[in-house]
Amino acid sequence: MTSRFALLLATALVAGLVLAQPQQPEAEPAAPAAPMSSAAERVYELARPRILQIRTLLQAAGRQTTIGSGFLATADGFAITNYHVVSQFALDPRTYRLEYLAPDGARGPLQLLAIDVPHDLAVVKIDRADLPYFTFDTRALGGRLPKGERIYAMGNPLDLGFTIVEGTYNGLVDKSYDERIHFSGAINPGMSGGPVAGNDGRVVGINVAKSLGGESVGFLVPAKFAATLIERARKGPPLVIDKAREEVGRQLDQWQAGFFDALRTQGFRNTLLGPYRGLESAAPWMSCWANTNADQVQKPRASMSGTRCSSATGIFVSDRILTGRIDFSYSYFKSQDLNAFQFARELSQRARGSAADGDKRLTEQECRDDFVTTAANRPPLRATWCMRAYREFEGLYNVTLMALTQDRDREALLGQLTMQGVSHANAVSLGRRFLEAIEWAR
Amino acid sequence: MGALMWIEVISHHGDVATRHAIEREEARIGRAFDNDIVVDDAHVAPHHLRIYRGEDGELVAEDLQTLNGLYPEHGAHRVARLSLAREPGFRIGRTTLRVRDARHPVAPEKLLTPPRKHAQWAGLLGGILLVMLLALQWLNLTTQPSASAIFLPLLGFVTALAVWTLFWAILSRIFFGQAQFALMLRIAVTACIALVLWDQLTETASFSLAWREARDYSGLGAWALLGAACYGHLHAIGPRHMRAAMTLVVVLVIAGAAVQYFGRSETRRIIGQRASLGELRPPAFRAVPLATADQFFAKAENAKARVDLARTKEPSSGLFGDMDPFD
Repeated sequence: MTSRFALLLATALVAGLVLAQPQQPEAEPAAPAAPMSSAAERVYELARPRILQIRTLLQAAGRQTTIGSGFLATADGFAITNYHVVSQFALDPRTYRLEYLAPDGARGPLQLLAIDVPHDLAVVKIDRADLPYFTFDTRALGGRLPKGERIYAMGNPLDLGFTIVEGTYNGLVDKSYDERIHFSGAINPGMSGGPVAGNDGRVVGINVAKSLGGESVGFLVPAKFAATLIERARKGPPLVIDKAREEVGRQLDQWQAGFFDALRTQGFRNTLLGPYRGLESAAPWMSCWANTNADQVQKPRASMSGTRCSSATGIFVSDRILTGRIDFSYSYFKSQDLNAFQFARELSQRARGSAADGDKRLTEQECRDDFVTTAANRPPLRATWCMRAYREFEGLYNVTLMALTQDRDREALLGQLTMQGVSHANAVSLGRRFLEAIEWAR
Repeated sequence: MGALMWIEVISHHGDVATRHAIEREEARIGRAFDNDIVVDDAHVAPHHLRIYRGEDGELVAEDLQTLNGLYPEHGAHRVARLSLAREPGFRIGRTTLRVRDARHPVAPEKLLTPPRKHAQWAGLLGGILLVMLLALQWLNLTTQPSASAIFLPLLGFVTALAVWTLFWAILSRIFFGQAQFALMLRIAVTACIALVLWDQLTETASFSLAWREARDYSGLGAWALLGAACYGHLHAIGPRHMRAAMTLVVVLVIAGAAVQYFGRSETRRIIGQRASLGELRPPAFRAVPLATADQFFAKAENAKARVDLARTKEPSSGLFGDMDPFD
């Protein structure tokens, strides 16, 4: 189970964490180049003057700390890139500045006009207006691109130079709340924010992440979100860079509100474990797996079988903050030959949340315990509510709610609801639902 | 005729070096050999002091106009005359003496607990402790039972206890003259029983009363118990420098508690914090009525207030600066 999860978590991780390290090309013997299709040559020639390398420079040193890619999308110099490419600058404009590097060697300052944190996009503007630009593929905007279509990802992987990668369009990722295109082709750090175009050179998506667990499994942001963001940048009030942090907080808050609305709309279903029932989301983007301790080498003295449903994608906020995940997990424990004390001890050891990091961007954890009853015909619970607040974003919390049934002393259901980047009201509302759903199945 | 008073010369360690019976109403103290008490101290005059009985019948020390004069035993100011009724000690030069009236009342005889009795108690309590530890070891065993899983931790514990007892016995041998091993063992074992009980009590309270703080701060109580154990050991060694020794113990205990407390928050800060249900007991141990969901979420509201307050404050920089688990 865990390896599969790592795969999906990695999709969000790679974008930021891999990119955050300046890449040094390693000297390797040159492999014979595979024959490139003529279509790729054509697309590359077409795209070359329209692509940018986007660098985040340390003000004091005047040298880049991270690199990414971007592409021109309007006649007057608007360009699209990933939010995670410019996040350092957006969150700390006094320490960093942005610079673009065009394929012709020209470089200049970049202005950050708009950000879309949930979709990981940003609009920047260059200081010249004489360059050709990309247009968006109308079929892609309407979601009518057929699976299997040949598409070309472009960018500057590992700062090696502008590169084109041939790959296949594989539709939207099934289990993702935020729409992501599954691209079968090699995307590498440094290509983030680069365009992915069809045969005709029209943009269908933007490079954003790759899976660390699989081979050539890449992810793209659908072009329609980029088109929307450009509209917003053009019409809406420009982003005040000193207020970008508040804007990030506002977007995260808005996103979680939408996400929890969608959760409610998609509804919930019961999950059955032993003699108990719990609650999990019926949303199609939840990825569910089962686990057990039956295969342990040393025979376990209490059997455990569990299920876990996670919203597989996370939102990149900064190098250190990934948020937006939600996780319903249940474990049913039954004592084989443990007495009531030993069983309670075993449960104490098992009832641990996932390791939260010691990041100072979150406050220290506060927990509250109680014995709770939700209805007379439901098992009494031992419940713990633990929360941490985001220092930089008011009103957003990481919450873990744990509940352990207290009706029998040699078997128990442990439920755990983990919510990241959630408002208190949404956390309480779903938490209450979670507690109230734990019941006897027979 | 018996002694009318006793004059004690106090050694530099604070105990009585020599004691002289005086069979007259007056005594003279000095460096010259015609005194009743001859003091070998270059800072004492040949004829330094006269002890006599005052009009009220109490003993008085009188300075015979010397260079270095007369001081009360614990006083900083020179006096010409000192009533010895209440404070029998005084200093001349570098020498401390005490004068006791022959009528001076002494404390009643103390019961001597023979070492054998201490050994019996130590054995009995040690047995109880061993049974308690074995029972706990058994109750906390969640893996397949094996002799090593049960006895190995116990062996470590017994070794630590032996080292601790030996340490105090050696101190006792040095400062008191006798090792008093049985007594030291008895004190140590008693303290261990108290510690184990305290640990179980707080752990159970944190579950039964849904009172997390009982567990969070139980360490402070444990340090206090350790301090009490040190007091017991010191008391057995001898109460001569009791105040200084106790101050040292209190400082050490407070320092230990502080190191543990700050170390804990430091560990939490560096390696992160996991949500957990805490230490659990069987459901029958619940001692508080079941709360409704409303009451539970009202508590959660309180947690929110705490983290909201915390986010407005700068995070503490801590001992190790900006360490991060990602690096």
